[in-house]
Amino acid sequence: MSIFDKLRKHDEEKPKADFSNVQSGSSTTAAEPARPAPEPPPASGTAGQSDTYVVAAGDSLSKIAKRYYGDANKWNRIYEANREQIKDPDLIHPGQQLRIPGA
Amino acid sequence: MHSQKRSLSLCVVVVMLLVAAGCSRKTDTGGTAGTTGTTGTTAVKVADVTLGRAIGGDKAISDSTDKFRPNDTIYASVMTDGSAPSATLRAKWTFEDGQTVDESSRAIAPNNRERTEFHISKPNGWPAGKYKLEVFLNDQSAETKTFEVQAR
Repeated sequence: MSIFDKLRKHDEEKPKADFSNVQSGSSTTAAEPARPAPEPPPASGTAGQSDTYVVAAGDSLSKIAKRYYGDANKWNRIYEANREQIKDPDLIHPGQQLRIPGA
Repeated sequence: MHSQKRSLSLCVVVVMLLVAAGCSRKTDTGGTAGTTGTTGTTAVKVADVTLGRAIGGDKAISDSTDKFRPNDTIYASVMTDGSAPSATLRAKWTFEDGQTVDESSRAIAPNNRERTEFHISKPNGWPAGKYKLEVFLNDQSAETKTFEVQAR
């Protein structure tokens, strides 16, 4: 066995150093960076996101729902948002200003 | 004929001088790169890293050395120069066989000269050998120090 083989064997037999229980820490004279302000929570419901629509001749809640939501079946959302001025969902009048929630 | 040549040469020299002046002005502006006057932020750099067995209240090493005993706590004091709302220092300690001994980072808001210390200890003693500490500033390697732990 050559001297190189002996050295290699010695290296192979040497146990690997264990650093599993190393403890560490740090401290500084510098200030801590300011944390970014938390984002405001999303607005509840649809307040603040509504649009206003002026009813034209020949309009219906279904037609308006189709125009804004792409789905005529969502007419109820507009009806519920405008209950104070719509007594009958089948009867809306030209010139009425309707709130369109979540438009 | 000679006078025409002389005039041409003079023009060439004047043009070259104007170009040189323009270039030097650009260099002057480039010298302030990294400094933004509007925010009061100056480029942050690692000015110095010192190793030792103890630190003072100012986070500076009070017992500087690069040779440690197995039961020592090893301190590294990193001095930064510059100001920024946020910067991250990272200390990576490695053993001679390439093993990572420890890696830790700290976010700071440096204002001119600041010191940040990192320390490591091992309750059952450090293996004898050569070690390396690499300090990163914002994930860019800034300084490397080597040290040795000597068996008792």
